[in-house]
Amino acid sequence: MAPSRVEPGTVAEAAAEVERARAAGLRVSIERGDGDVVLSTRRLDRVLEHEAGDLTATVEAGIRLSALAARLAQAGQMLALDPPGDPTVGACVAANLSGPRRHRYGAPRDLVLGVTAVLADGTIASSGGKVVKNVAGYDLSKLFCGSTGTLGLIARVSVRLHPCPQAQRTLAVDVASAADATRLALAIRLSTLEPSAVDLLWRAGGGSRLLVLFEGSAAGAAAQLAAARELLGGDEADASVWEETRAWQSRAGGRLSFAPGDLESLLQDRAEALVRPGVGCAYVPEPVPDPSDPAALRLLERVRAAFDQRGTWA
Amino acid sequence: MSLPAGLARELEAAVGADGVIGELDERRTYECDGLTSHRVVPELVVLPRTAEQVQATVRLCHAHRVPFVARGAGTGLSGGAVPCAGGIVISLARLNRILEVDLESARIVLEPGVTNSEVSRAVAPHGFYYAPDPSSQQVCTIGGNVAENSGGAHCLKHGFTVNHVTGLELVLPDGELVTLGGKGLDPPGPDLLGAFIGSEGTLGIVTKVTLRLVRRPEAVRVLLAGFDSTEAAGGAVSEVIAAGILPAAMEIMDRLTLEAVEAAVGAGYPDAGAILIVELDGPAAQADGDLARVEAICRGRGAGEIRIAAEEAERALFWKGRKAAFAAMGRVSPSYYVQDGVVPRTRLPAVLRRIAELGSAYGLRVGNVFHAGDGNVHPLVLYDRRDPDETARAQQLSEEILAVCIEAGGALTGEHGVGLDKRGKLPLMFSRADVEAMLRLKAAFDPEGLCNPDKIFPPDVPPDAWGVHPLERLARGA
Repeated sequence: MAPSRVEPGTVAEAAAEVERARAAGLRVSIERGDGDVVLSTRRLDRVLEHEAGDLTATVEAGIRLSALAARLAQAGQMLALDPPGDPTVGACVAANLSGPRRHRYGAPRDLVLGVTAVLADGTIASSGGKVVKNVAGYDLSKLFCGSTGTLGLIARVSVRLHPCPQAQRTLAVDVASAADATRLALAIRLSTLEPSAVDLLWRAGGGSRLLVLFEGSAAGAAAQLAAARELLGGDEADASVWEETRAWQSRAGGRLSFAPGDLESLLQDRAEALVRPGVGCAYVPEPVPDPSDPAALRLLERVRAAFDQRGTWA
Repeated sequence: MSLPAGLARELEAAVGADGVIGELDERRTYECDGLTSHRVVPELVVLPRTAEQVQATVRLCHAHRVPFVARGAGTGLSGGAVPCAGGIVISLARLNRILEVDLESARIVLEPGVTNSEVSRAVAPHGFYYAPDPSSQQVCTIGGNVAENSGGAHCLKHGFTVNHVTGLELVLPDGELVTLGGKGLDPPGPDLLGAFIGSEGTLGIVTKVTLRLVRRPEAVRVLLAGFDSTEAAGGAVSEVIAAGILPAAMEIMDRLTLEAVEAAVGAGYPDAGAILIVELDGPAAQADGDLARVEAICRGRGAGEIRIAAEEAERALFWKGRKAAFAAMGRVSPSYYVQDGVVPRTRLPAVLRRIAELGSAYGLRVGNVFHAGDGNVHPLVLYDRRDPDETARAQQLSEEILAVCIEAGGALTGEHGVGLDKRGKLPLMFSRADVEAMLRLKAAFDPEGLCNPDKIFPPDVPPDAWGVHPLERLARGA
């Protein structure tokens, strides 16, 4: 049977579709094609609230980052997520997507304040809130970060916003070797610089570069760029270099997590990688096996079963 | 109620005779946390020294179906560490070693009984610190911080505990040891680590924590401004945020709090209706530029006296009064009730006005001291506990203030947690379906319901008493 594609226009409609599919014993997938029913959030793309004074927004999960960015820019604000491409907010949360500015602003888990999800039995459940500080109840909005459609449909998301920086300056430093990369990354870590992004474009054969982004007031960004140049060497680069790192990231086969202090050994046997040395993550050409503790994987299975008793999510 | 026969002896065999407290007088020390209105004496207190001993203790509890409550320093303010009847307390006080300082990774690995301020002390010589700074940081433990997702004054820029924990080792309620995360970030899969942090000790017991360390900034600038009213100070806070400035902290104290603080620590604050403290940190050029803008905003909003700390000693003095505010209230009132609510920052002036009106209507004094930058208010309702009528009114006023916060689109608690104290209030913010989803997580971690039972979730709620979550309310209005 060919999968049927449904595009609900409201969260309640989405819940009804899930409920109907489950009652019929059908499996549901989100956006991807491997369920009997493929649920799309294409029409769930409204901004429900943008409180500029609070630096918060609540959106439906199907809105694309570019559409949200255009809307927020009118108030001089941004959602500080810059993964490659133009994914929806829901995809960013579901796959825990981030880009170069992960270094300063964090991942979706750090920016999401609340989530409304449609669960496998068709119930609509919210957790977290729409304020920047909140510890009431379990924060299931964190649990949904990285859940890749296995716990429920992420339908609405509240996020924390940041002011758009007045100025951005980029430093590019040539990197000669793994030892050189390690020395530079450590120098940044031990300095009082506050970069927004630090990306290492690693090619063992030569041509490796470290890119450092500074944001803030015009005077603040300029002072940091000058101080960084003195500390690390290199030259100012055009902002377009960040498109290059995002392009590298989009070509990657996998993402791995590492202790920032282990950078040199990480680079030792690698022909190429896009590394975020301050964060401790690297995008590599090959798929990366899940390194989780087996006990954690068993726990995760129990969590999945608790949220999807009948295996509705494909 | 009594424990199963032989359990005490089995526990002694697991952790040593000096690790089990059976004497009633000694057990009483553990009957409550910082919120003394809820008290239950535990049947036994166990003090393990290692993760293996925690595991052995939990396994025995699991085998005998005896409920247990983990405890750090007992400084919590929501009754989250109150023992449960017929259960035992597992104190993590003896798991207090710093295991590894890894500056090259900007990480520290430690046991849960290490105090919050000890972390910063250990890495200060290297120019690093640990950012979350709850007011109780001298005594509260990292394990407790993880349980409560603790905040503090400096969370505005630097985030909460959940933004600083990169890895946890924990003992599940059936005794299994699990590692979540590590020194790196963004491991694959759902963020179980993030969901665990702030679960108030109801999902397991932490035995090892990996924290992110933050480099001490090049510059720290602190400004203190006196205003006629909290409303005027709140207006300045909104304008600072709207201007795109992200201070490390923005705190407000009202006149009543200032009087108490002056009497207690003599911080020498200006005579004002309210004072606002703004701290900016970062590279000097950025911090100085932002400081000038904040000063101009405060002047524009009618600030009287403005002081800028010239040196570290003066900065510490600005903060001394703020950190002592709760304790100082004892000087102006025999008893006080600390509320912990959150409102959207733009609603601060309106909510403060409403709190003042409610105070007058109830004939009770309310002091306001709060994390203005993130909308986290701590109204202090003053009363005399020897007067039962006044005590009841104070309780009622405090609850009404909370309802005002939630009505404004805020949250039930910003940093103190739900615990025992607010579990009956959970339906103010969540629907039944919301809470049932949370209980799925609880069931996956703790199917037998042995781990800090009775906390967070209300015992029984009539179907029509459940509320509507702020996100759902927003969508219905849209």
